[in-house]
Amino acid sequence: MIQSFSTWLHSTRLSWAVAGGIPWIWPLCETLHFIGLALLMGIVSVLDLRMLGMAKELPLGPLQRLMPWAILGFTINLITGALFFTGDPTQYIHNVAFGFKLLFIGLAGVNVILFYVTGLYRRVDSVGAGHDVPAAAKVAAAASLILWIGVMYWGRMLPFIGNAF
Amino acid sequence: MTSFLTAVENTAFATWVRESSSLLAYPAILFLHTVGLGFLVGLNAAIALRLLGFAERIPLAPMVKFYRVMWIGFWINALSGTALLAADATTKITNPVFYIKMGFVTLAVVNMVLIRRRVFGNPSLDLSPVTGGAKVLAVLSLVFWTGAITAGRLMAYFGPVSGAPGLKNRIP
Repeated sequence: MIQSFSTWLHSTRLSWAVAGGIPWIWPLCETLHFIGLALLMGIVSVLDLRMLGMAKELPLGPLQRLMPWAILGFTINLITGALFFTGDPTQYIHNVAFGFKLLFIGLAGVNVILFYVTGLYRRVDSVGAGHDVPAAAKVAAAASLILWIGVMYWGRMLPFIGNAF
Repeated sequence: MTSFLTAVENTAFATWVRESSSLLAYPAILFLHTVGLGFLVGLNAAIALRLLGFAERIPLAPMVKFYRVMWIGFWINALSGTALLAADATTKITNPVFYIKMGFVTLAVVNMVLIRRRVFGNPSLDLSPVTGGAKVLAVLSLVFWTGAITAGRLMAYFGPVSGAPGLKNRIP
Protein backbone atom coordinates (compact mmCIF):
# COMPACT_ATOMS: atom_id res chain seq x y z
CA MET A 1 0.00 0.00 0.00
CA ILE A 2 2.78 2.41 0.97
CA GLN A 3 4.64 1.27 -2.13
CA SER A 4 1.74 2.00 -4.48
CA PHE A 5 1.04 5.33 -2.75
CA SER A 6 4.65 6.40 -3.15
CA THR A 7 4.68 5.28 -6.79
CA TRP A 8 1.57 7.40 -7.41
CA LEU A 9 3.04 10.33 -5.46
CA HIS A 10 6.24 10.15 -7.47
CA SER A 11 4.24 10.32 -10.71
CA THR A 12 2.63 13.67 -9.78
CA ARG A 13 3.70 16.97 -11.27
CA LEU A 14 4.47 18.33 -7.79
CA SER A 15 6.93 15.49 -7.20
CA TRP A 16 8.64 16.26 -10.51
CA ALA A 17 8.88 19.96 -9.59
CA VAL A 18 10.31 19.34 -6.09
CA ALA A 19 12.81 16.70 -7.20
CA GLY A 20 14.60 19.03 -9.58
CA GLY A 21 12.06 19.79 -12.32
CA ILE A 22 12.09 23.31 -10.88
CA PRO A 23 15.67 23.35 -9.55
CA TRP A 24 15.39 26.03 -6.82
CA ILE A 25 12.49 24.38 -4.94
CA TRP A 26 14.58 21.71 -3.17
CA PRO A 27 17.30 24.11 -1.90
CA LEU A 28 14.62 26.62 -0.87
CA CYS A 29 12.75 23.95 1.11
CA GLU A 30 15.99 22.83 2.77
CA THR A 31 16.74 26.39 3.82
CA LEU A 32 13.22 26.84 5.20
CA HIS A 33 13.50 23.46 6.96
CA PHE A 34 16.55 24.74 8.89
CA ILE A 35 14.90 28.09 9.69
CA GLY A 36 11.86 26.18 11.02
CA LEU A 37 14.21 23.95 13.01
CA ALA A 38 15.88 26.97 14.65
CA LEU A 39 12.53 28.57 15.50
CA LEU A 40 11.12 25.36 16.99
CA MET A 41 14.30 24.50 18.93
CA GLY A 42 14.68 28.07 20.21
CA ILE A 43 11.23 28.31 21.75
CA VAL A 44 11.22 24.69 22.96
CA SER A 45 14.59 25.15 24.66
CA VAL A 46 13.59 28.44 26.35
CA LEU A 47 10.53 26.73 27.85
CA ASP A 48 12.23 23.42 28.68
CA LEU A 49 15.38 24.96 30.16
CA ARG A 50 13.26 27.28 32.34
CA MET A 51 11.16 24.33 33.55
CA LEU A 52 14.40 22.48 34.33
CA GLY A 53 15.50 25.40 36.51
CA MET A 54 17.47 27.75 34.27
CA ALA A 55 16.64 31.50 34.39
CA LYS A 56 14.16 30.79 37.18
CA GLU A 57 13.25 34.48 37.44
CA LEU A 58 11.15 33.97 34.29
CA PRO A 59 7.44 33.45 35.05
CA LEU A 60 6.08 30.51 33.02
CA GLY A 61 2.73 32.07 32.01
CA PRO A 62 4.19 34.84 29.81
CA LEU A 63 6.87 32.45 28.52
CA GLN A 64 4.23 30.07 27.17
CA ARG A 65 2.93 32.92 24.99
CA LEU A 66 5.94 32.20 22.74
CA MET A 67 4.43 28.82 21.78
CA PRO A 68 2.82 30.07 18.52
CA TRP A 69 6.36 30.63 17.17
CA ALA A 70 7.29 27.03 17.95
CA ILE A 71 4.09 25.90 16.19
CA LEU A 72 5.01 28.11 13.21
CA GLY A 73 8.48 26.50 13.07
CA PHE A 74 6.94 23.03 13.27
CA THR A 75 4.40 23.85 10.55
CA ILE A 76 7.13 25.16 8.21
CA ASN A 77 8.99 21.90 8.74
CA LEU A 78 5.91 19.73 8.31
CA ILE A 79 5.17 21.37 4.94
CA THR A 80 8.77 21.36 3.67
CA GLY A 81 9.25 17.82 5.00
CA ALA A 82 6.13 16.65 3.16
CA LEU A 83 7.52 18.27 0.00
CA PHE A 84 10.83 16.36 0.37
CA PHE A 85 8.84 13.16 0.73
CA THR A 86 6.75 14.03 -2.32
CA GLY A 87 9.88 14.75 -4.35
CA ASP A 88 11.44 11.35 -3.79
CA PRO A 89 9.24 9.01 -1.69
CA THR A 90 11.31 5.88 -2.35
CA GLN A 91 14.37 7.26 -0.57
CA TYR A 92 12.33 7.62 2.63
CA ILE A 93 9.93 4.69 2.79
CA HIS A 94 12.71 2.08 3.12
CA ASN A 95 14.89 4.35 5.27
CA VAL A 96 15.41 3.25 8.90
CA ALA A 97 16.46 6.75 9.96
CA PHE A 98 13.25 8.19 8.47
CA GLY A 99 11.19 5.68 10.48
CA PHE A 100 12.95 6.69 13.68
CA LYS A 101 12.57 10.38 12.84
CA LEU A 102 8.79 9.95 12.46
CA LEU A 103 8.69 7.90 15.68
CA PHE A 104 10.54 10.63 17.63
CA ILE A 105 8.28 13.38 16.17
CA GLY A 106 5.30 11.25 17.21
CA LEU A 107 6.65 10.79 20.74
CA ALA A 108 7.40 14.52 21.02
CA GLY A 109 3.80 15.14 19.90
CA VAL A 110 2.42 12.73 22.49
CA ASN A 111 4.53 14.52 25.11
CA VAL A 112 2.96 17.89 24.14
CA ILE A 113 -0.57 16.41 24.08
CA LEU A 114 -0.10 14.84 27.53
CA PHE A 115 1.21 18.20 28.80
CA TYR A 116 -2.12 19.79 27.80
CA VAL A 117 -4.67 17.05 28.53
CA THR A 118 -3.29 16.16 31.96
CA GLY A 119 -3.77 19.80 33.01
CA LEU A 120 -0.01 20.18 33.51
CA TYR A 121 -0.13 23.14 31.13
CA ARG A 122 -2.46 25.07 33.46
CA ARG A 123 -0.42 24.23 36.56
CA VAL A 124 2.78 25.34 34.82
CA ASP A 125 1.08 28.48 33.48
CA SER A 126 0.63 29.79 37.03
CA VAL A 127 4.24 29.16 38.12
CA GLY A 128 5.69 32.59 38.80
CA ALA A 129 9.21 34.00 38.98
CA GLY A 130 11.57 32.07 41.26
CA HIS A 131 9.30 29.04 41.67
CA ASP A 132 9.80 25.43 40.61
CA VAL A 133 7.42 23.72 38.19
CA PRO A 134 5.83 20.41 39.34
CA ALA A 135 8.12 17.38 39.05
CA ALA A 136 5.94 15.95 36.25
CA ALA A 137 6.59 19.10 34.21
CA LYS A 138 10.35 18.68 34.69
CA VAL A 139 10.08 15.14 33.33
CA ALA A 140 8.07 16.44 30.35
CA ALA A 141 10.66 19.20 29.74
CA ALA A 142 13.59 16.76 29.81
CA ALA A 143 11.71 14.34 27.52
CA SER A 144 10.93 17.20 25.13
CA LEU A 145 14.58 18.29 24.82
CA ILE A 146 15.81 14.71 24.34
CA LEU A 147 13.09 13.89 21.79
CA TRP A 148 13.59 17.03 19.66
CA ILE A 149 17.38 16.57 19.68
CA GLY A 150 16.62 12.97 18.65
CA VAL A 151 14.48 14.24 15.76
CA MET A 152 17.47 16.32 14.56
CA TYR A 153 19.72 13.27 14.95
CA TRP A 154 17.54 10.99 12.82
CA GLY A 155 17.01 13.76 10.27
CA ARG A 156 20.76 14.21 9.93
CA MET A 157 21.24 10.45 9.65
CA LEU A 158 18.86 10.15 6.66
CA PRO A 159 21.78 9.99 4.18
CA PHE A 160 24.15 8.04 6.43
CA ILE A 161 22.11 5.31 8.09
CA GLY A 162 19.52 5.41 5.34
CA ASN A 163 19.86 6.24 1.68
CA ALA A 164 18.30 9.69 1.36
CA PHE A 165 20.07 12.90 0.36
CA MET B 1 47.50 28.12 -1.22
CA THR B 2 46.16 25.06 -2.97
CA SER B 3 49.03 22.95 -1.65
CA PHE B 4 48.30 24.15 1.89
CA LEU B 5 44.60 23.27 1.53
CA THR B 6 45.52 19.87 0.11
CA ALA B 7 47.86 19.34 3.06
CA VAL B 8 45.03 20.20 5.47
CA GLU B 9 42.71 17.80 3.68
CA ASN B 10 45.34 15.07 3.84
CA THR B 11 45.97 15.27 7.59
CA ALA B 12 44.98 12.11 9.42
CA PHE B 13 42.12 13.91 11.18
CA ALA B 14 40.61 15.50 8.04
CA THR B 15 40.90 12.21 6.18
CA TRP B 16 39.19 10.39 9.03
CA VAL B 17 36.33 12.94 9.16
CA ARG B 18 35.79 12.67 5.41
CA GLU B 19 36.41 9.02 4.67
CA SER B 20 35.73 6.98 7.80
CA SER B 21 32.61 4.88 7.54
CA SER B 22 32.10 5.41 11.30
CA LEU B 23 28.95 7.27 12.33
CA LEU B 24 31.23 9.13 14.77
CA ALA B 25 33.08 10.81 11.90
CA TYR B 26 31.32 13.07 9.35
CA PRO B 27 27.74 12.14 10.40
CA ALA B 28 28.23 12.91 14.13
CA ILE B 29 30.07 16.16 13.41
CA LEU B 30 27.32 17.28 11.01
CA PHE B 31 24.72 16.38 13.67
CA LEU B 32 26.57 18.46 16.29
CA HIS B 33 26.65 21.37 13.82
CA THR B 34 22.83 21.11 13.59
CA VAL B 35 22.31 20.93 17.37
CA GLY B 36 24.57 23.96 17.85
CA LEU B 37 22.57 25.83 15.19
CA GLY B 38 19.29 24.94 16.90
CA PHE B 39 20.37 26.35 20.27
CA LEU B 40 22.44 29.31 19.04
CA VAL B 41 20.05 30.62 16.39
CA GLY B 42 16.92 29.46 18.18
CA LEU B 43 17.68 31.26 21.44
CA ASN B 44 18.80 34.36 19.52
CA ALA B 45 15.44 34.29 17.73
CA ALA B 46 13.50 33.87 20.99
CA ILE B 47 15.24 36.93 22.49
CA ALA B 48 14.74 38.92 19.26
CA LEU B 49 11.01 38.09 19.16
CA ARG B 50 10.61 39.23 22.77
CA LEU B 51 12.47 42.50 22.01
CA LEU B 52 10.12 43.05 19.07
CA GLY B 53 7.15 42.93 21.40
CA PHE B 54 5.91 39.33 21.25
CA ALA B 55 5.04 37.72 24.63
CA GLU B 56 5.56 41.18 26.09
CA ARG B 57 4.95 40.14 29.70
CA ILE B 58 8.18 38.11 29.79
CA PRO B 59 10.70 40.07 31.89
CA LEU B 60 13.75 40.59 29.69
CA ALA B 61 16.53 40.75 32.29
CA PRO B 62 16.51 37.02 33.24
CA MET B 63 16.74 36.04 29.56
CA VAL B 64 20.41 37.06 29.66
CA LYS B 65 21.04 33.66 31.29
CA PHE B 66 20.41 31.98 27.94
CA TYR B 67 23.62 33.59 26.65
CA ARG B 68 25.56 30.77 28.30
CA VAL B 69 23.68 28.19 26.20
CA MET B 70 24.04 30.39 23.11
CA TRP B 71 27.83 30.51 23.59
CA ILE B 72 27.93 26.72 24.07
CA GLY B 73 26.04 26.44 20.76
CA PHE B 74 28.49 28.87 19.17
CA TRP B 75 31.55 26.89 20.27
CA ILE B 76 30.03 23.55 19.27
CA ASN B 77 29.56 25.03 15.80
CA ALA B 78 32.93 26.77 15.62
CA LEU B 79 34.65 23.46 16.40
CA SER B 80 32.41 21.18 14.31
CA GLY B 81 32.53 23.73 11.49
CA THR B 82 36.33 23.77 11.59
CA ALA B 83 36.39 19.97 11.35
CA LEU B 84 33.96 20.00 8.39
CA LEU B 85 36.04 22.74 6.74
CA ALA B 86 39.29 20.78 7.22
CA ALA B 87 37.70 17.66 5.72
CA ASP B 88 36.78 19.52 2.52
CA ALA B 89 39.27 22.41 2.62
CA THR B 90 39.94 22.63 -1.13
CA THR B 91 36.28 22.71 -2.11
CA LYS B 92 34.90 24.85 0.73
CA ILE B 93 37.61 27.55 0.79
CA THR B 94 37.14 28.07 -2.94
CA ASN B 95 33.36 28.35 -2.62
CA PRO B 96 32.23 32.02 -2.66
CA VAL B 97 29.08 31.10 -0.70
CA PHE B 98 31.31 30.00 2.21
CA TYR B 99 32.51 33.62 2.59
CA ILE B 100 28.94 34.92 2.49
CA LYS B 101 28.09 32.47 5.29
CA MET B 102 31.11 33.54 7.37
CA GLY B 103 30.21 37.19 6.77
CA PHE B 104 26.68 36.65 8.09
CA VAL B 105 27.93 34.58 11.06
CA THR B 106 30.41 37.34 11.99
CA LEU B 107 27.74 40.04 11.75
CA ALA B 108 25.30 37.90 13.74
CA VAL B 109 27.78 37.19 16.55
CA VAL B 110 28.89 40.85 16.78
CA ASN B 111 25.19 41.79 16.87
CA MET B 112 24.57 39.22 19.63
CA VAL B 113 27.38 40.77 21.72
CA LEU B 114 25.91 44.25 21.07
CA ILE B 115 22.49 43.08 22.35
CA ARG B 116 24.24 41.64 25.41
CA ARG B 117 26.00 44.95 26.13
CA ARG B 118 23.54 47.60 24.97
CA VAL B 119 20.22 45.95 25.84
CA PHE B 120 20.95 43.55 28.71
CA GLY B 121 23.59 45.92 30.10
CA ASN B 122 20.87 48.45 30.87
CA PRO B 123 20.05 48.14 34.61
CA SER B 124 16.55 49.61 34.17
CA LEU B 125 15.79 47.26 31.26
CA ASP B 126 12.35 46.11 32.40
CA LEU B 127 11.29 49.48 33.83
CA SER B 128 10.81 51.18 30.46
CA PRO B 129 9.60 50.08 27.01
CA VAL B 130 12.09 48.39 24.66
CA THR B 131 13.99 51.16 22.83
CA GLY B 132 13.94 51.62 19.08
CA GLY B 133 17.66 50.83 19.02
CA ALA B 134 17.08 47.48 20.72
CA LYS B 135 14.38 46.65 18.18
CA VAL B 136 16.75 47.44 15.32
CA LEU B 137 19.32 45.03 16.85
CA ALA B 138 16.57 42.39 17.16
CA VAL B 139 15.59 42.73 13.49
CA LEU B 140 19.28 42.57 12.49
CA SER B 141 19.68 39.41 14.59
CA LEU B 142 16.85 37.69 12.68
CA VAL B 143 18.19 38.93 9.33
CA PHE B 144 21.83 37.93 9.96
CA TRP B 145 21.02 34.45 11.28
CA THR B 146 18.58 33.82 8.42
CA GLY B 147 21.35 34.86 6.03
CA ALA B 148 23.86 32.55 7.73
CA ILE B 149 21.48 29.56 7.56
CA THR B 150 20.55 30.27 3.95
CA ALA B 151 24.17 30.62 2.80
CA GLY B 152 25.17 27.54 4.80
CA ARG B 153 22.47 25.46 3.13
CA LEU B 154 23.27 26.80 -0.34
CA MET B 155 26.97 25.89 -0.05
CA ALA B 156 25.83 22.43 -1.12
CA TYR B 157 24.41 23.83 -4.37
CA PHE B 158 26.90 26.48 -5.50
CA GLY B 159 30.61 26.21 -6.14
CA PRO B 160 32.65 22.99 -6.15
CA VAL B 161 31.03 19.73 -5.08
CA SER B 162 31.68 19.17 -1.39
CA GLY B 163 30.51 17.03 1.50
CA ALA B 164 31.15 13.43 2.47
CA PRO B 165 31.75 11.03 -0.43
CA GLY B 166 28.58 9.41 -1.61
CA LEU B 167 26.45 12.11 0.01
CA LYS B 168 24.17 13.16 -2.80
CA ASN B 169 23.38 16.69 -1.67
CA ARG B 170 22.77 18.12 -5.09
CA ILE B 171 19.66 17.82 -7.19
CA PRO B 172 20.36 15.21 -9.89
